[in-house]
Amino acid sequence: MARTMEQIGLINLGLLFLAVLILVGIASSLIATRFGAPLLLVFLIIGMLAGEDGPGGIVFNDYRLTYLIGTVALAVILFDGGLRTRLAVFRGSLLPASLLATVGVVITAALTGAVACLVLGLSWLQGLLLGAVVSSTDAAAVFFLMRAGGLQLRRRVAAALEIESGTNDPFAVFLTIVLVELIMLGAQGSSLDVVILLLRQVVIGTVAGLVGGYLLVQGLNRMALPSGLHPLFAITAALAIYAAAAAVEGSGFLAVYLAGLVLGNRPARAFPSILSFHDAATWLCQILMFLVLGLLVTPSKLLGYLLPAFVIAVFLIVIARPVAVWLCLLPFRFTAREKAFISWVGLRGAVSIFLAAIPTLSGVANAEVYFNVAFVAVFISLLVQGWTLTAVARGLDVALTETAAETQRVEIDLPGQTNLEMVGFPIIEDSPILTRPDLPSWIQPVMVARQEKVLTWADAKALNPGDYAYFLVPTERAQRLDRLFAASDAIHSHHPVAAFNFTGDISLDELAAAYGLSVPDDLRGLTITEAFRLRCEDRIGMGDRIQLGPASLTVHELEDEDVKQASLEIDEVELPVASTSALAEFSLYGRLQRFVAQLAERFNPTKPSAGA
Amino acid sequence: MNLAEIVDSQSVLPSLKVQNKKQLLQEVAHAAGKLTAIDHRVIFETLLQREKLGSTGLGHGIAIPHGKIPTLTRVYGLFARLAAPVEFDAVDNEPVDLVFLLLAPEHAGADHLKALARISRLLRDHDVVAKLRGTDTAEGLYAILTEPAATPHAA
Repeated sequence: MARTMEQIGLINLGLLFLAVLILVGIASSLIATRFGAPLLLVFLIIGMLAGEDGPGGIVFNDYRLTYLIGTVALAVILFDGGLRTRLAVFRGSLLPASLLATVGVVITAALTGAVACLVLGLSWLQGLLLGAVVSSTDAAAVFFLMRAGGLQLRRRVAAALEIESGTNDPFAVFLTIVLVELIMLGAQGSSLDVVILLLRQVVIGTVAGLVGGYLLVQGLNRMALPSGLHPLFAITAALAIYAAAAAVEGSGFLAVYLAGLVLGNRPARAFPSILSFHDAATWLCQILMFLVLGLLVTPSKLLGYLLPAFVIAVFLIVIARPVAVWLCLLPFRFTAREKAFISWVGLRGAVSIFLAAIPTLSGVANAEVYFNVAFVAVFISLLVQGWTLTAVARGLDVALTETAAETQRVEIDLPGQTNLEMVGFPIIEDSPILTRPDLPSWIQPVMVARQEKVLTWADAKALNPGDYAYFLVPTERAQRLDRLFAASDAIHSHHPVAAFNFTGDISLDELAAAYGLSVPDDLRGLTITEAFRLRCEDRIGMGDRIQLGPASLTVHELEDEDVKQASLEIDEVELPVASTSALAEFSLYGRLQRFVAQLAERFNPTKPSAGA
Repeated sequence: MNLAEIVDSQSVLPSLKVQNKKQLLQEVAHAAGKLTAIDHRVIFETLLQREKLGSTGLGHGIAIPHGKIPTLTRVYGLFARLAAPVEFDAVDNEPVDLVFLLLAPEHAGADHLKALARISRLLRDHDVVAKLRGTDTAEGLYAILTEPAATPHAA
C-alpha cells in the first residue's frame, strides 16, 4: 500500500517536472526570439541544464523511452511536413529536391563517414553509420528557423529546401536502421541482404503511406465526426499508419510523410482545423524531443568527443553538405548563390540525435560514440548555421526584398462550399490593409469584430488596428492575402503615404522616369507584371513589394497570375535615406551580410548576381 | 516640408464648377498656367499623359494630379474644391471633389516626391478632409492646408 502511494507520488513528481520543463521551454521562446537565438537550441540547453550535469541533476538514461518519444514526435513532425507541402506549388522543384533527399543524403553520409573513420578510428561501416546519423537536413529545424527569421525565399530555393528536408528524414532514418542491422549482422550479411532490406523498406513504406493517406481522406470526408475530433482522428491515424508500416518492416517515417502529403493535397473536411491542431502538436513534439534529448546526454561525457566531433561537424558543414548539394543540383539551373544557401541551410536537428540513440538501443558496440558525436554536431550546426541563416540569406541575395512576418490567419471551413472559405485576420498596426483605400476585388468582406461587438462591413466603415476582419475568399488564394495583414517593415520604417495605382502592363522604366526613381538592374526594361514575376517567381501575392529608393511598388490587385494593378507608394521619410543604411554599415549584421556577399562573389565571379 | 512653400492663397479654387475629368484637368491647368506663366496647354497635356499611366484619384473623393514641367523653376501646388464631384476613375471608383494639383520641374528629384507624400498625408486625415469639404472660401481653405501638421506619424 505504502509502495503504491510512493509510486503514485513519484509519477506525479515526474509529471510535474516534465510539465514545468516544457513551460520553461515555452516561456524562454520569448527571450530566444528577441535575441534571434535558434529556439531549438534553447530547448536542448534547458534539457541539459535539468540533466545530470546541470543544476537539475536528474539522471535520465532511458534510451527506450527516448526512442518512443522520439518516434512519436518524429512521426507527427513528418506528417505535418507532408500536410503542408503543396505539390502543385512545388511541381518544378520535386526532382532536384528528391535527388537531394536521396542521393544527397548518401553522398553526405559517405563523405562524413569517411572523415569519421579517420578521426575516430572507426571501421568503414561504423563510420558510415555515423555519417548517416548526421546526414539528414532537419525539416523541423529548417521550417522553424526560416519562419522564425521571417525569411521569404525565392520560390525555387524555398521549395527545394522544404521538400528536401521533409523527405530526407525518412531516408536518413532508414539508412541508419539498415546500417545498424548490417553492423549487427556482422560478417553474415551479404550485399543482397542490403538491397532487399532497402527495397522492402521503401516499397512497404510507400504503399502504406499512399493507401493509408487515401483511407484517411476517405474517413475524414465520409464519417460525420463531432467537430473537435477531426484533428485527433488525423493524428492518430498518422501514428497508426506509421506503426502499421513499421510493424511489417517498412519505413514508417516514409509512410507517415506520404500520408500527410496525400491528405494535404486532397480536399478533406476540416482541413484548416487539422492544420492548426498540427501546428500546436508539432511544436509540442519539437519541444519534447529536444528536452528529452538534452536530458539524455551527459555533457561531461561530451568533452572527450569535443575535438573529433568538432572536426566532423565542420567538415560536414563546409565540405560534405556543399559537395552533395552541388553534385545533386548540377543538372538543374540553380545559381551558385542559391546552391551556397541550400548548402548552408543543411541544418542538423533533433532527428540526428534521435537517430544516434538507435545504435545504443540496438546494443551496437561503441554506441555512445554515435550519440555524443551527433549531439555535438547538431549543437554546432544549430548554433552556427541557425544563427546566421537570415544574414546569409540576405548576403547571398536569395531572400526576397521584404521579409514576411507571420500573420495570424484563421481559416474557417464552410461546409457545403468547396471553393470558398472564410478567413479572419487580426488587423494590426503597420499592415498594408490599413493604407489601401479598397479591398481586393476577389474577396468579399463579411464582418468585423470590434471590441466584442460584431459589425457588418458597412457599419464598420474602416478597419482599425485591434479589429478582427472576416472575408470570403477562394480557398486557393487565401494565403496570398497574408502580406496585406502582416506588419510591414517598409510601412513601419518608411511610412508610405501617397499611393498611385498603375496597371501591370506599364513599363517600369517609364514609371521610374516620371518620378525620378531608379530601377534595380535586374528589372530594367520590364513591365510591372514582369518585374513582380521575376522577383516573386510566379507566385505573386497581394502586397508583395519592390522597393525603388524612396518609393515602392506594391501589388494592389491580381488577375489570375498577373498584376492587374500595382500601387506606387511614396515613403514619407523625413530622415535622409542614407542615415539608415549608414547604421547598417556599422552593425555586425550588415558586415556579416557583406562578408557573405563578397565570399559568394569570389566563388562565382563570372555569373551576374541573381537579384538586385 | 510645409505646404506654404508650394501653395499661396492665390492657388486655391474654393468652388470650381466642372462637368467631367477632362474639364477638371483643363480648368486646373488653366489656373496653374496663370500662376506659373507656363502655357496651360503644356500643363494639360502633361497631366493627361500622367492620367493615362493610371488615375491619380487616391480614393475617398481625393485626387492628386501631378506631372513634371521642364521649364518650371520650383514645385508648384494648386488646390481645387469642386462644387460637385466628378468621375475620376479613382481607385475606389468614387467621384472626386477635392483636387490637389502638383507640378514639379524636370529635376526636382526628392522634392517632387516629398511634396506628393506631404499632400497625400494631409489628405488622408479624415478631419482635415471634412474641414476642407465644409469650407468654401479661399482664405479658409488655405488656412487649413497650411496649418502645421498636428500629429507627426507615430513611429
